[in-house]
This record gives sequence, C-alpha cells and structure tokens, in this order.
Amino acid sequence: MDDRTPVRVRASQPERTERIARLVNAARQGSDAALGEIVTELSPLLWQVARAAGLNVSDAEDVLQTVWMRLLAHLDGIHTSEALTAWLVITTKREAWRVSAAGRRQLPADNEVFSMLPDQGPGSEEQVIVDDQRRILWQAIGQLSPRCQELLRIIAFVPRPDYTALAAELGMPAGSIGPTRGRCLAKLRALLAGDLEGSSQ
Amino acid sequence: MTPSDASGFTPADESLDDVDLELLDGIREVFQAIDPMPADLPERIRFCLALRGLEVEVARLAAEESQPSLAVRGAELSRTITFDSDSLTIMIRIDPNLDGTARVDGWLAPPERREIEMKTAADSLTVASDEQGRFAFDRVPRGMAQLVVRSAESEQSGAGRSVVTPALIL
Repeated sequence: MDDRTPVRVRASQPERTERIARLVNAARQGSDAALGEIVTELSPLLWQVARAAGLNVSDAEDVLQTVWMRLLAHLDGIHTSEALTAWLVITTKREAWRVSAAGRRQLPADNEVFSMLPDQGPGSEEQVIVDDQRRILWQAIGQLSPRCQELLRIIAFVPRPDYTALAAELGMPAGSIGPTRGRCLAKLRALLAGDLEGSSQ
Repeated sequence: MTPSDASGFTPADESLDDVDLELLDGIREVFQAIDPMPADLPERIRFCLALRGLEVEVARLAAEESQPSLAVRGAELSRTITFDSDSLTIMIRIDPNLDGTARVDGWLAPPERREIEMKTAADSLTVASDEQGRFAFDRVPRGMAQLVVRSAESEQSGAGRSVVTPALIL
C-alpha cells in the first residue's frame, strides 16, 4: 500500500530567511516594495496564528492589519528574519488575546503561550480536502491535543531556521519547545500509522 | 541525529527527520486548504502601510453591527463600526447612497475639532470634525478605505500623533 507522499523538493529555507533579511533591511531604509514583499511572505503565517488563537475571520483580518501597522514603529530595531518572525508572531498572539478578552470570551487563567485552543476540529472542512492522504492527515491532527494542534499549525508556517529564535522570544528555552514539537510530531506519526492500518481493512 | 553544536544544545531543527519535514509540509497544505488567508488581505495590509513615515496611533476595531438601511431598500445594510485607540474612540456609520457610493457619518470621543482624512484606493477626501466631534463624508467610493484622524494642533505640546484605522471595505 502506498502510504508515502511523493518526495517534494523543499524550497531552501535558509535562502528564504536570507531573502527576508534583505527585505527587512531594504524596508527599514524606506522601500515600500520590500515591505510589501514581507507582507506577502509572512501574512499566511500570521493568519494561522490568529485563527489558531480562536479569532473569527473578521477579527483575524483586523488583527493582522493592526500588527503590520504597529510594525512600522518597531522596524528600526529589527534586523533579521528571525527577529522579524518572532516579533510578528508574538504581537499577533497578543493582539489576538486582546481582541478575545474584549469580546466574546474570557481568557483561560493559564496564559501559556501555546495553550489557546483552536476552535477547529475535523468536520465539514474535510469536504475541501479532496486528497485522501491529506484527509487522513487532517483527521489525525484532529486527534492531537489542542496544544499540539496549535503548535504544529504555527510551526508548519514558520520559516524553519527562525524557529529557535521564536521559541526564545516566546520565553521558552529552545530545548523545551523542541521536544514538545517532537512529541507532537511523534504522536501524529503514531496516529497516522494507526489510521493507515485501519484504512487497509 | 547529528551531534550538538558548540553552544551545548542540539538546534531544534536537527531533531527533525525527513518524515517530520514532510509532515509539516502536509500540515501546512491542510491548513492552507481548510482555512486559507483571504486572498485580498495582503493588498489591504499594504494599503494601510502606505502611511509609514507618519507617526501614528493604531485604532483597533472594537465593535461592528449591521442593520437594514432605511435609506435604500433591498439587501443593503447600514453598518456601525467603533474603533478604539489609546487617545480616541472613533465611531462611524456607513450608509449606502442611491448612486452606489457610501455616506459615512462619524463621531469622535472625546469630542474635538480634528482634520479627518478618508483614504481610498483612488484618492483621499478630507473633512473636519465640529466641536461635538461630528464629521461626515457624503460620498465615498465603494471599495477599500481607511480613516486617518490627523494630529491635534501642533502648538499643543505632547499632542501630535495621528490616529489611523484598519482598512475598511465600504
């Protein structure tokens, strides 16, 4: 049974972060085009951060705009792709909390960074995933703890070399978030192995 | 697994094998499929960022509600939106005009005379609020728009930041 996705060529992540770093420098020196490219590059990540924090679509749209506008005042202190990614992700989380607190819900007392529950679970969304392997993956993600779901959802969109810096910025030693990610991925792999056995009957 | 580097811990990425990387690619594809970012959002963000260079205070969306418009029959809604910033609350009501443009009535709290700009994709319109903080734009083209409440008189020391809202779709 073919249980492996075909090998894809990964975009070189170090190349991507170098490109972002160049764009940050150009943006700091006043290039609107560079700033626009950064928006294109990193908004999909921030969208997932905002949505994983439980915001509805219009609140998430608003939060992203607020975050990017606030970046203008902080751009001078940001020199690397890592610092930019970390600042954007953390600010998006803070803005999302602020909107959630002001709106419909009370924040949980546990303010741990990755503890916010995504309000997503497998459901009608499956209909838009036509590919069998992707549907199996989505179902497996739905069986993970909310913390793992949010963690993997965000990490999957972070330019990879920036991840360690992000963990540090979030106030976690790099060594502590790595293993959490490792556990979440290990759990997902175990779930997928189980699903694949089950689906072969 | 590769050995630790000189800093004494294994960089997080080195614990990822090819299957992990493939899984993360898969996770990204899944979330892109079920919860994609609205395609026009980057354009709206870039529209807002055209304000760089101005010292601004960002107002956040605080509340929004819609009700059937009295002025125009049909499915058109009148929207009331409130924005909050540290120094100012901006409330606007957007009503459809019969000619397809939108009328925007607004109030500032605390009330004061300020110059208020409505930036649209084509150009920008400027009005002033009265002593009660009221202002109005009679005809704003539909599409993307952003409000900029210009800084108070420069002779007042300490004042000086303009307040901007996120992009609205009129």
